Amino acid sequence: MKLFYYLAAGMFINSVTAAELPDRQAQIPAIAKDPTALYLQPSALSTIPGGEFGDKVRLGYQLFVNSQQMRDQQVGNELNCVNCHMNAGNKANASPLWAAYMAYPAYRKKNDKVNSYEERIQGCFTYSMNGTAPASGSKELVAISAYSYWLAMSGLMNQFDLDNKVPELSDTELVKGGNREDFPLPVEVKSKLDQKALASLAGRGFPKLAKPEQAYSLERGEVVYLAHCQTCHGVDGQGIKMADVSALPPLWGPQSYNWGAGMHRVNTAANFIYENMPLGKSIQLSVQQAWDVAAYVNSHERPQDPRYKGNLSDTQKSYHQHDGYYGKAGAGSVLGSKAYPNAPASK
Amino acid sequence: MKFLVKVVTTMTVVVTSSTALASIPAQSPKELLQSIPAQAQVCVSCHGVNGEGLGVAGPKLAGLSSEYIANQLTLFQIGSRQNPTMMAMAATVQGDAIKLVSDYFAAKPVKEITLQYRGDKVVITDVAEKLAYQGDWSRDIPACTSCHGPSGIGAENFPRLAGQEPTYLKNQLLAWQNGTRKGDVDNMMGNIANKLTAEEINALSQYFSAQIPVVKK
Repeated sequence: MKLFYYLAAGMFINSVTAAELPDRQAQIPAIAKDPTALYLQPSALSTIPGGEFGDKVRLGYQLFVNSQQMRDQQVGNELNCVNCHMNAGNKANASPLWAAYMAYPAYRKKNDKVNSYEERIQGCFTYSMNGTAPASGSKELVAISAYSYWLAMSGLMNQFDLDNKVPELSDTELVKGGNREDFPLPVEVKSKLDQKALASLAGRGFPKLAKPEQAYSLERGEVVYLAHCQTCHGVDGQGIKMADVSALPPLWGPQSYNWGAGMHRVNTAANFIYENMPLGKSIQLSVQQAWDVAAYVNSHERPQDPRYKGNLSDTQKSYHQHDGYYGKAGAGSVLGSKAYPNAPASK
Repeated sequence: MKFLVKVVTTMTVVVTSSTALASIPAQSPKELLQSIPAQAQVCVSCHGVNGEGLGVAGPKLAGLSSEYIANQLTLFQIGSRQNPTMMAMAATVQGDAIKLVSDYFAAKPVKEITLQYRGDKVVITDVAEKLAYQGDWSRDIPACTSCHGPSGIGAENFPRLAGQEPTYLKNQLLAWQNGTRKGDVDNMMGNIANKLTAEEINALSQYFSAQIPVVKK
């Protein structure tokens, strides 16, 4: 169980030029997929220990795959974390939690601040889940941090053939993340992997897709969408509900991610779609099709950017200097001008 | 469509009156047959008047969406699904009758079942239940319920698996494997079925078939 890792030059390049807080939604930088990479292999869920610590890990898993448990408290749309993070946040190249956990805390130039893992998760609630971030140290953030930590640490321990018992951490330690000098690591791991290597585990984020041959096009994107995506996500992009839950997630509209979520960026969505869609297949579309359909999906109205303060063009200038459609012409109106509310009640 | 509405109303009356006077059938089998759209008559000997199915010979149609039934009829007609009986029967349902028949069976009620959602269980030991709720991503097999919904109740183009005849479910997974069933977008289901072992197919067929209403006494 050897882990192949590599360091990408310039991995903290970030295209967003936002100048003010709060914006904790920056993606772990996308890096090209290495076909020879071996990925961390976390232990099976059945090996999560009993007791209080294990309970936190299990709760983290449950909140992750059924985030609708938090609807109307912390979650404001019909999405579940697992919709973008395949295999309950365990799948390489689908933003696995084990890699994210080891990449935070991370200093971010844009806000001149070190963001903890918990702050990064808060960003997911605010933007991807269009909800209200749980308070620092809350049960939910501790649980998701504990689950992420357990995946990361059990994976590292498996890699080095160490005893399977993952050391327990306090809540205060858990929410910080694994990218810090004082993070308690088994000496066998620490002697082989330096901090930089741990913070850039292979398979993290969504792999960076090559640029399309032609500029992406909404017209072509619609054709791709109707041929490949509508069976699961609906012709209207609203997903499919079964037993009152969106078994298949809405991609735009009031129940999807908002204008501040990482996925609203065409490049991020293209990276994700190319690698992970359709579910269980991977790499079904051409590079061009992935870009085109990512643009099409993200050219529809969705909930407002939570950083919006009443002026669309201000929000656009501050936070949307990247591949996206916020503030641009949409069907009949400027996108963002008819945005849906943030953190709405479900009924 | 007017006719269909009338049928549904009649059926409701049947249920109500038979509850009140259980010993006197409100409608004779002959009368019941006459209340079915003519175009659907061909279906009922195997699928039942209420789409309740007839063992392995006729899978349950109640609980499937109209869209799914119509799509399958078309797939039988063009040979993407192969079954000697159904290819012949489907050929008799053409044009507007496809939607009429599909709507008729899709409108048939199914009893509510106790649903299991993803994440309700963390540690799952049963092979089929684990595939159903967690998949096996080491083989890129997603959880069945991520498309077929809680307890596999299905909707739209994703058929209801809950309570379906087990041998039918098994035969379908085998048909996806050997290519006698096709027609899904991007071969999504074919791709998954191809990765399943014979044991897993048996286990999954039994598992979803067992998701039936819990009788409360």
